[in-house]
Amino acid sequence: MEIDAVSLTAVTKSFGAVRAVDGLTLAIPRGQTVALLGPNGAGKSTTIGMLLGLIPPDSGKTAIFGIDPGQAVRQGLAGAMPQEGGLIPRVTIRELLTFIAGTYRAPLPLEQVLALAQMTGLENRRVDKLSGGQAQRVRFAMALVGDPDLIVLDEPTAALDVEARREFWNGMRTLTGRGKTVLFSTHYLDEADEQADRVVVVDRGHVVADGTSTDIKKIVALTTVSVTAVGEVAWLGDLPGVTRLEVRGDRVHLRSADPDATVMALAQAGAVRNLEVTPADLEDAFVALTAKETV
Amino acid sequence: MFGYIRLELLRTIRDGGFIIFGIASPVVMYLVLSNLALAPGDKHAGAIVTMVSMAAYGALGGAFNNGSGIAEDRAAGWLRQLRLTPLAPAQVVSGKVITGVLGVVPSIAAVLLTGVLVNHVTLSAGQWLAIVGLLWAGTVPFSLLGLGNGYNLTGQTAAMANIAALLGLSIVGGLWVPTAGFPGWLRAIAEWTPSNSYAALSWDVASGTAPGPRAIAILCGWLVVFGLYARYGYRRAGRTA
Repeated sequence: MEIDAVSLTAVTKSFGAVRAVDGLTLAIPRGQTVALLGPNGAGKSTTIGMLLGLIPPDSGKTAIFGIDPGQAVRQGLAGAMPQEGGLIPRVTIRELLTFIAGTYRAPLPLEQVLALAQMTGLENRRVDKLSGGQAQRVRFAMALVGDPDLIVLDEPTAALDVEARREFWNGMRTLTGRGKTVLFSTHYLDEADEQADRVVVVDRGHVVADGTSTDIKKIVALTTVSVTAVGEVAWLGDLPGVTRLEVRGDRVHLRSADPDATVMALAQAGAVRNLEVTPADLEDAFVALTAKETV
Repeated sequence: MFGYIRLELLRTIRDGGFIIFGIASPVVMYLVLSNLALAPGDKHAGAIVTMVSMAAYGALGGAFNNGSGIAEDRAAGWLRQLRLTPLAPAQVVSGKVITGVLGVVPSIAAVLLTGVLVNHVTLSAGQWLAIVGLLWAGTVPFSLLGLGNGYNLTGQTAAMANIAALLGLSIVGGLWVPTAGFPGWLRAIAEWTPSNSYAALSWDVASGTAPGPRAIAILCGWLVVFGLYARYGYRRAGRTA
């Protein structure tokens, strides 16, 4: 069996009375792009900190490519972009990246890193004289320059405007195209939906859902199939996939975990009249998932 | 690690605080004190003593400034960023200590060169060598105190603590004004300060006598104290980085 790029087993971390991460287990095979999705305070940054060996877990096991995270970082197997900080004044982009590259055994050529991070032509600018978007790209470049197999990004686009976010993900896709394993955290749902092969939803320190974004929408069965129907409609609630039935006037709204099967059954019963299928967006799924445990 | 030291030195020479406290201030004060404050008869001897004092003051400035840099790096998340590179934490600390040690060289050189070129100070080659060596090696305890402040205190507070330590140790240690003019109680304190012991080694060499064992012992004692303080801060910071 191939060793997973990331392996977290029942990790727990408390800060005082607050349990930030609570028995979280996550395995990421090589080559996947995974979004760690969760609201603020869900434990995303703490999870990432433990994965990178920056925060010692209270209990549980962490590994990168099967070895201790600190050691993996030391060997240049993982590169990371923390949520904030990491830039120092009084150096140019070139000086900073050349230094970071020099700490790795087989770094990427500087020109290539600049191109990936869309900073070609800016390399002689002082790091302390950059715009927010440019600074974020430098931080991204610091995570890439060592050409690590695993790249971990903590809320990489939190500080960026729409345009800068799009540019950022363009650069990112070039990388994932090269077989890198990428783990990024975000609270932007569209980002998780569009950029990740797999979405891991985290809430109150543990995984509440894990799968493709389609899987996750299915888990919470939020797709609504509605038809016009009159008379006795209760039988519609027994159709395959249907989890809930709601009648509003002459419209029947069916919540379905398997909308394909529901629509088929409707068609077989000859009940398709003004059929409307409203897919759940990830946001609904997310709200449903993270609200479930709220008392 | 070589790359790290190179980067840190680049940052040091571009740092306004370093230029002011490490180079400009000691050179200007040296010129003022040796040319305007001394009676004409004392000029040659005075120029030598003041040269040593001001080189010591400049070296302290460089050493403390380096320590403040650590607090700045911590606040900027730079130390965490370094932990995400293949550099080992021990390499980062050694790199910072070496940067501190190398960073005091321009301060010492600037004042000594001013002494030679402007005030025409003449000493034997052996004396020059000994003075440069002692001024250089003697900064290690101060580098450690600066780093200790940098690790133990946060950004602004660390910088203020280091400037206060620089000015306090320089004044009480008799680097600005010789302790001969101090009231008795203050002179008694001065004789136990690391800064006075540090400069005394080179004052002795400049006046043609061997450095006293008492000054060496006091400086070594402070080396141990500040070393422990820096180690304590480094470990404490490591838990929260």
